[in-house]
Amino acid sequence: MFGYYTALAFRSFRRNPGITALMVIAVALGIAVCVMTLTVYHAMSGNPIWWKNDRLYAVTMDNWDPNVPFFQDSSLPPPELTYKDAQYLFRSNIPERKVVMYATDGVISGAGSSPAEHVKTRVTTADFFAMFDVPFLYGSGWRGAADDPAQPLIVLSREENDKLFGGANSVGRVLRWNDHEFRVLGVLNDWAPRPRFYDLNGGSFGSPDAVYIPYGWGAELELFNDEESDCWKSEKIDTFKDYLGSECIWQQMWVELPSRASRNRMQSFMDGYWAEQRRSGRFQRPRDNRLTNVADWLRDNQVVRNDNRLLVALAFAFLAVCLINTVGLLLAKFLNGASVTGVRRALGASRRQIFIQHLVEVGALSALGALLGLGFAWMGLAGVHHLYASAHLGRHGGYQELTHFDSVGILWAIVLAIGATLAAGLYPAWRIGRLPPAVYLKSQ
Amino acid sequence: MSLHVRPILSALLRNRTGAVLVAMQVAITLAVLVNALYIVVQRAQKIDRPTGIDLQNIFVIQSAGFTQRFQISPSLQEDLTWLRELPGVIAATPSSVIPLSNGGNNEPIVTRPDLQRSEYYNEINVDEHGLDALGAHLVAGRNFRREEISPPRGKKDASRFEPEIIVSRALAERLFPAQNPLGKTVYDFINQTATIIGVVDPIMGCFPSHEHPDWVFFVPRLPSGEAAVNYLVRTRPGQRDSVMRLAEAHLSKSNPDRVIDSVRPLTYYRNLSYLDDRSMQIYLLTVTVLLISVTCLGIFALATFNVSSRTKQIGTRRAVGARRRDIVRYFLVENALITSAGVLTGCALALGAGYWLSVEYALPRLDLYYLVGGVLVLWAIGQLAAWEPARRAAAVSPSVATRTV
Repeated sequence: MFGYYTALAFRSFRRNPGITALMVIAVALGIAVCVMTLTVYHAMSGNPIWWKNDRLYAVTMDNWDPNVPFFQDSSLPPPELTYKDAQYLFRSNIPERKVVMYATDGVISGAGSSPAEHVKTRVTTADFFAMFDVPFLYGSGWRGAADDPAQPLIVLSREENDKLFGGANSVGRVLRWNDHEFRVLGVLNDWAPRPRFYDLNGGSFGSPDAVYIPYGWGAELELFNDEESDCWKSEKIDTFKDYLGSECIWQQMWVELPSRASRNRMQSFMDGYWAEQRRSGRFQRPRDNRLTNVADWLRDNQVVRNDNRLLVALAFAFLAVCLINTVGLLLAKFLNGASVTGVRRALGASRRQIFIQHLVEVGALSALGALLGLGFAWMGLAGVHHLYASAHLGRHGGYQELTHFDSVGILWAIVLAIGATLAAGLYPAWRIGRLPPAVYLKSQ
Repeated sequence: MSLHVRPILSALLRNRTGAVLVAMQVAITLAVLVNALYIVVQRAQKIDRPTGIDLQNIFVIQSAGFTQRFQISPSLQEDLTWLRELPGVIAATPSSVIPLSNGGNNEPIVTRPDLQRSEYYNEINVDEHGLDALGAHLVAGRNFRREEISPPRGKKDASRFEPEIIVSRALAERLFPAQNPLGKTVYDFINQTATIIGVVDPIMGCFPSHEHPDWVFFVPRLPSGEAAVNYLVRTRPGQRDSVMRLAEAHLSKSNPDRVIDSVRPLTYYRNLSYLDDRSMQIYLLTVTVLLISVTCLGIFALATFNVSSRTKQIGTRRAVGARRRDIVRYFLVENALITSAGVLTGCALALGAGYWLSVEYALPRLDLYYLVGGVLVLWAIGQLAAWEPARRAAAVSPSVATRTV
């Protein structure tokens, strides 16, 4: 029966090609706009390490100015720690893994014949790789002992290794970072979590770091956080040592706590430290020591922009109009063909059969619309991608990477097509099924 | 002349599904159209704010010294001397930051040493060519003198302030409302003092995304070599790109102890800062145009359907004396009634959506002019879309009435 109804549907399409094309295009546009916005929204709102959502926590404490909160519009503590707090908390053995880190600028030279090059560098403790499930192509990360005293070891991203060594296994090769000799210990495989949850400064969808060096080099070479460093206290900071002892926040800390119990212990460890420091005059704001999981961290830092929420709402308003349009056209079309339906009814087709037959026709229409819509969405996303790519002058990474057409888009198109069939088809199919056949037979 | 609304309305109410559907489309379209256009215009106003900077003729060189023997001061001296002698260059300055790039440095300054520091203002380090290199206008006081330019801050005096600063007019008004800021003293975060010697207006600093991007002050100091330094170079109109190529070719070879990270027009950074606003505009406009087209087609299709299903009645009316324009008028009035119902609902919907946006997304409340404009546009579009079917209806011959199918 289904095959027969489908054949009927296509015969009906041929009868009114103009109006059919109009409906297909309307459905296609509605689905395309929705698929486009949802693809970007999905990429933005994703949790790139969801499988560790109950284990990974960002560590923050509110050391800010007693009189002025860090954020104007929220009561959240600053997103980074002071050096001294990070050092103290890092000494705790409660977490299964722990990392303190920040981003800095560096220049790589002396790697084969490659010219010297500016690289985004992460100064981090050893657990970074294991904690964030970073995949290695060659070699590995360093052991904790290499952090202090700092060993001259470096890990390259795959992209950087491609640039410097043409993608060869470069483990053991020697290069210069800021004119100091480093030995390559590992090369990462492709790894670009989006959003870049572990460090949201410099754009939530910024490109990943190019190279990684042991944390101890920070103090040794006096490396600043080049992305986000904030100070509030009236204190003289003339030397790097002053900076290390200051109330400036610039250290990012994450811990991996496998259980609720370890989480509670970590929380009380932080609270204990906070109370002790408060007695000596620090931490004069209300107590706000936080362990924030990745999902909440992304929400707190407003990774999904309001603009994108707005666009999703707009897309559905547009789809609604397209579907209402289609309902109107379907009604007109079905009623126009009422005489044929009247004959079918007179020959014994039940209301239910008429209803299903027309619903199948709408389904076929939506399927065509969804297919065409996918084409439109693909073109639209390519257009948006091009817009961003040209503004970045061909640079990779960043927001443009969110505009890739993927399986999520196809899934959404299927869901939307089914939704569209039901939303647009139910009423017209029901109406046509209710028509008394006699009236239409008479006018013949 | 009467429009005969009563019979049209009663006919409409007898067969209302199609009309209700079109009215719903018109309503949603109006709500979206009005609010989307309002947002687009707001973004345009944001992007077009005056910067006080000669945007089109400036390019930025980022240079990073990296060897242990690299010396920042001689390197700055050498590069700048070379750049300033280039034909086509009006001025060049070293700078700690890139204007309009949404990256930079904010510092608190206050007017009395005991004041709470709760506001941060954008600090830009330049030399005596700084204002010239930006094309910024000094509206009071004087520029920095050559001897006032301090050397880069080093590893021992990283919190050093400088004795003279130039401020934006907006910042001057913030710090010293209704007073002459020239000669006034300000205090930095550890109460080191500086005197305001000049006022610039207009000027936008490094953070177009901030609430007050024009709260800016200039400090006469060479950038430290801790991070990459920027050279802002302003050229004569039309020569930016050729000078840029020359500069890149020379500087990337002139000193092996540093790398030239990038050489880009200032507009690159500005465009990047506004990229999201731009794409939002494009997206909103595209969807709005599509929306209007779909609604327009919907109106057209309904009118066409009405005409074709009423051919016999139209023929009968014509046969009993209705003129062609009576028929056209009938369909246009019918369309106007449907559109009006849609537009009325749409007004409520648009205001509701506008209110929701202002609460949820802190957008300013919808300007009512937009609503009036949107209503007129949709009305006009409705009439246009119904015009062709109405004309076709008028062409129905009275003889149709006498035929049976």
